Amino acid sequence: MKKIIVVLLTVLMVVSLFSGCTPKESEVVKLAIAAPLTGDFAEYGTGFKNAVELMVEQWNSKGGVLDKKVEVVVYDDKNNGEEAATIAEKIIGDSDIAGVVGHFASGVCMAASPTYQEAGIVEISPSASHPDYSSEGDYIFRNNTVINVEAKEAIEIAVKALNAKNIGILSVKTDWGTATAGIVKEIANDYEGVKVVEHQEIIDGTVDFSPVVTAFNEAKPDVVIVVGMYNVLAPFATQYKAVNPEINFVGFSNAYSQELINLGKEYVEGVYLPAIFFHGSENENIKNFVEAYEAKYGSAPSSLTAQAYDSAGIILSAIENTSSIDRSAIKDELYKISYPGVTGQTTFNEKGDAQKTFAWLKVENGAFVEVSK
Amino acid sequence: MKKPKGGDTLLFQQIFDGLTLGMVYALIAVGYSLVFGILRLVNFSHGSVYAFGAHIALVVAVSMQWGIFPALLISIIATGFLGILIDKLSLKPLREKKSKPIAALITTIGVSYIIQNLLMIIFGSQSKWFPKIFNYGIIKLGSISVNSTQLFIFLVSLLLLIILTVIIQKTKVGLAMRAVEQNPKAAHLMGINVNYIVSFTFFLGGASAAIAGTLISGYYQVVYPNMGFIAGLKAFSAAVLGGIGVLYGSVIGGLVVGLSESFAVSYFGGGYRDAVAFVILILVLIIRPKGIFGKKDITKV
Repeated sequence: MKKIIVVLLTVLMVVSLFSGCTPKESEVVKLAIAAPLTGDFAEYGTGFKNAVELMVEQWNSKGGVLDKKVEVVVYDDKNNGEEAATIAEKIIGDSDIAGVVGHFASGVCMAASPTYQEAGIVEISPSASHPDYSSEGDYIFRNNTVINVEAKEAIEIAVKALNAKNIGILSVKTDWGTATAGIVKEIANDYEGVKVVEHQEIIDGTVDFSPVVTAFNEAKPDVVIVVGMYNVLAPFATQYKAVNPEINFVGFSNAYSQELINLGKEYVEGVYLPAIFFHGSENENIKNFVEAYEAKYGSAPSSLTAQAYDSAGIILSAIENTSSIDRSAIKDELYKISYPGVTGQTTFNEKGDAQKTFAWLKVENGAFVEVSK
Repeated sequence: MKKPKGGDTLLFQQIFDGLTLGMVYALIAVGYSLVFGILRLVNFSHGSVYAFGAHIALVVAVSMQWGIFPALLISIIATGFLGILIDKLSLKPLREKKSKPIAALITTIGVSYIIQNLLMIIFGSQSKWFPKIFNYGIIKLGSISVNSTQLFIFLVSLLLLIILTVIIQKTKVGLAMRAVEQNPKAAHLMGINVNYIVSFTFFLGGASAAIAGTLISGYYQVVYPNMGFIAGLKAFSAAVLGGIGVLYGSVIGGLVVGLSESFAVSYFGGGYRDAVAFVILILVLIIRPKGIFGKKDITKV
């Protein structure tokens, strides 16, 4: 027993000797990506990883950041809080890591973020939407919209683009759906002459909307704001339009999917929705990103993937702007940065929430098109 | 509880919505009742078989573009054979080992999950578009709007019910089915091929599920692998309500469940609609276990 302790102590001393005498500045800047690469949410994590690697590759081809090569370190958290906390410990221990892009689900992010905050390293989640997440500290950011911003945008579309006076709300009975519907109602009341005339909740997965349509048709809204994914919006629009072809719909950005058009066909013509990333945009920046992504990975990038791409770009830009890889300097820079990304011009508010500009999309002739505000 | 707005118009519209929805459940419920009536077995794979039928029709009508009626026909045959396959692979071995009825019941639940997951693996879990069937637009009856597809579903359900009743009551094979229902052993001794009759019953069950699946998909224009789960449970409630094993009972049960749902949406909001069917199921089981038209000799459900 004694022998083992002696050996261990000797090894420890030798190791600390070596590590102690290397104050030489590192040759690389590392960017950590922590996301689910296996398990149920692997599709999102893989998108994050692909996007960050693409961004880093593009920086490196231009000579890296501060004349240093950028390196991506990838951690698989399996969308599991415990894994995420362990990974966070590993990340803060590596002094070359300048910032973290990641964690996917809000709950997982919040298991890891106290560690990042304590160690003082910037974390940008491309996907967390829980209101409390960014309040965990000044190093904690999100490059995703908080729901009330998007809700306001949806009402804005209804009122300005569709001249709605009477608004109906259809929402799915989930945490997100119920909360969002509540926020939509609240914001709608701030508009002059606008009122919510009917609110119906449905279980996610409903395909028969006839009783709901009857209820709406009786209340006669000009526009129905649909708080649900494409699989709610498309059949609802189909059944409502059959009874009343004059009705208009506004969806949310998570209904922004080719599946919406595949499923709703001519009945989703004229459906509006707000989105921060428009895949078919004519914008040079976005076009280049979509082309580069498709060429490299053979699939189209989703909104969240685009948000991960920008998150990496934001951290690297912050490093370049401050000309240092000092973690607290990077953090300070993020509050000042205005980053022209593929998900719009991004700035962060004092909580660390990204302030996004939304594009208004409309389904026209079987495709999404961007409309001017 | 909120008061519904509007007057008689709304009331009639709700009744009509409810009746159509009820016919949808009735179409599925007939399949439950049929298999139960002959074999005394609640076949919980019926909901998934219904989804399977819809997917076969989807392949023929959308991917191969053969049109809706060939789709219906091919779906009926394919789904009918799926019914036979389920019986041969999972239920027949149980019968031969003389296992308890509960074993067969649980097996059908397992089979249901296998079918559902296979559909998910093959077709993906997203909702898919299905072409409209028999669409002649909306017919206005005063202020009520009646979808022509709704009427069509109504008529087909009625026709299916009549055909099934004729098969069971008037044909030779129907006679054999009733004999098997009475006493499988005696029927066997009388020279009836019991396994053949059981297979035939499962074929009819599968075929009726295929008709339901295709019609309902054509009505809502949506197909997805989990579509049979809730619809199947509600249809089961409808079958129990009408007296499981009694075909016309399933239709009445379906209509009652559909109507209650329609009214639940306007009185309590859409979030409660699924609960209503199951509340009815529980009430029926407590108050009148054999259902509205149930036969007296049914002791186990």
